[in-house]
Amino acid sequence: MTPTPGLLEVDVLVIGAGMAGAMAALAARDAGATVAVASRAPGATALSSGAVGVAPDPTASPDEPLAWLRAPVEAARRLAARRPDHPYAAVGVAGLWRLGEALRFAARQLEPLLAPPLERPRLLATPAGNAVRAALCQRSMDAGDLLAVRGPLLVCGFAGHLAFDAALVAAGLARYTPRGGPEVGDAEVALPFDDPAARPHELARALEPPGAAERLGEALRIPAGALGAGAILLPPVLGLDPAARVPERIAAAAGMPVAETLSDVPSVPGLRLHAALEARLRVAGVARVTGEAAGAPAPGRAVEIGGTVVRAETWILASGRFVGGGIARRGALVEPALGLPVQAAEGREAGVHLARRPAASLTVRDRRAPQPLLSAGLRVDAALRPVDDRGRPVHPRLLAAGAVIGGHEQATDGSGLGVAILTGFLAGRAAARRGA
Amino acid sequence: MTFGAMAYLAYRAIVAHPLKRLLRQRGTGEARFRAAYETEGLAPTTEADRAIGLEAQACIACGLCETGCALAAADPAIRALGLHAAFRLYGRNPAELPLAAGALEACAGCTGCEALCPTGVPITRVVGALARRAHGARPGSPREPSPSPAARDP
Repeated sequence: MTPTPGLLEVDVLVIGAGMAGAMAALAARDAGATVAVASRAPGATALSSGAVGVAPDPTASPDEPLAWLRAPVEAARRLAARRPDHPYAAVGVAGLWRLGEALRFAARQLEPLLAPPLERPRLLATPAGNAVRAALCQRSMDAGDLLAVRGPLLVCGFAGHLAFDAALVAAGLARYTPRGGPEVGDAEVALPFDDPAARPHELARALEPPGAAERLGEALRIPAGALGAGAILLPPVLGLDPAARVPERIAAAAGMPVAETLSDVPSVPGLRLHAALEARLRVAGVARVTGEAAGAPAPGRAVEIGGTVVRAETWILASGRFVGGGIARRGALVEPALGLPVQAAEGREAGVHLARRPAASLTVRDRRAPQPLLSAGLRVDAALRPVDDRGRPVHPRLLAAGAVIGGHEQATDGSGLGVAILTGFLAGRAAARRGA
Repeated sequence: MTFGAMAYLAYRAIVAHPLKRLLRQRGTGEARFRAAYETEGLAPTTEADRAIGLEAQACIACGLCETGCALAAADPAIRALGLHAAFRLYGRNPAELPLAAGALEACAGCTGCEALCPTGVPITRVVGALARRAHGARPGSPREPSPSPAARDP
């Protein structure tokens, strides 16, 4: 209990500290505005694969991922042309034009964590043995780019670590061998420590102390030598702190490039991404407020979040979707922070006022069809202002960014963090312009 | 014969059984429920339990809370199961809840996990309520008059 809540006066208040909120805050700060970020807890960014997917190539065959070489920005443009409800289409041609700039900005902000972007997407392995496109990935994943591996790829699991099945991943990746992918083999090594119940984040921490990564690297020499491997793919547990340089140390001891796969939850690369965003916000001089912004009034008015009163002329709502709490399901769909209308979806349901319908009626039986529930969110105009059901902006200085904007299934359609980076960057720049 | 049997059944259904029920009724519904089912490890679900259950339902089993749980590494009971698994698996299954009692009681209530929950589950409160339930539901253990967690918190 704080007897006298502090007053924080800034140009821009960002609600949410995931990828979209952090990008919005950093873009606004970079443009000279003073910024506060309010968040309750880690959100979907901390549960992400750890790499940034921008867009699947809508004209490519899903069975030939190694042929998906169209640059991420071009793929996003084609996606926007085909899907008028997608946020890439909502921001307009001029907005989408800045996607390349936004991605370079994100890569620069997260420079110690992310590998430098390439012209083409990287093709990275998932823990289920599929290859997916990534516009940006962490340095720990770079050597696993299926198009860059020289020689056979050894997929190696840890004995007793049940979250990763090396044989499954190898069998999955072997499907791509006749289509230009590397030869694949699999093996299992004992961990340099003994704990069968270790969680991924504990494995990651256990590899950080001096000697642990080196011992693992030396153990990898035997199966890698037997296969004549050119690179080694490991479970996504290679250190929580990138400064511990776990992948580099394993690679040095093993004598060849080492990478980790993308992750599913619980995600160590996602935790790394979350920590890197938090650290970057601190360094950039962004004020942090911890708490929930439920029932907030309008921009320009004071709002109390976790004992701090914040006043800002411009607000950016980057509260995520169902995981982050930006859209909640209470019988019907609601937007809890400001009570905005939830109306965006895809396909036949586009533009329908979803909040008036029971959430259970928003799923369709065909599993491959777009699910209105999963693409539910706010509808925005080209300036990223949420609009009401007559299509007019709710407030001139209220912007939205990231998954709270509906019209795409951010968890599954391969454009989630790309949308977060683009809309966060655009909203942050626009907010700074108004604040100046 | 048929008439006699039917008359006897009608007498049982219309007169004897209702009368027996009326005369045998003692205590409130809850007391009778407890007398009948508590020995089997089934505790009644109160309004407070239901509220806690609804809050626990927001758990998406992402495991982020475990990264902030110091006991998850130290205590074997929590280590084997994980607190979020404890309330997901056993929260709605009173008969098996005592299996998670060790993990639930080991929780020190430091609230380190709560700040990490993306969906805002009040983990400490859920664990506290489940621990009380597990304690109460264990056959043969003295049942404390479970204080309503909703009433304690402002």
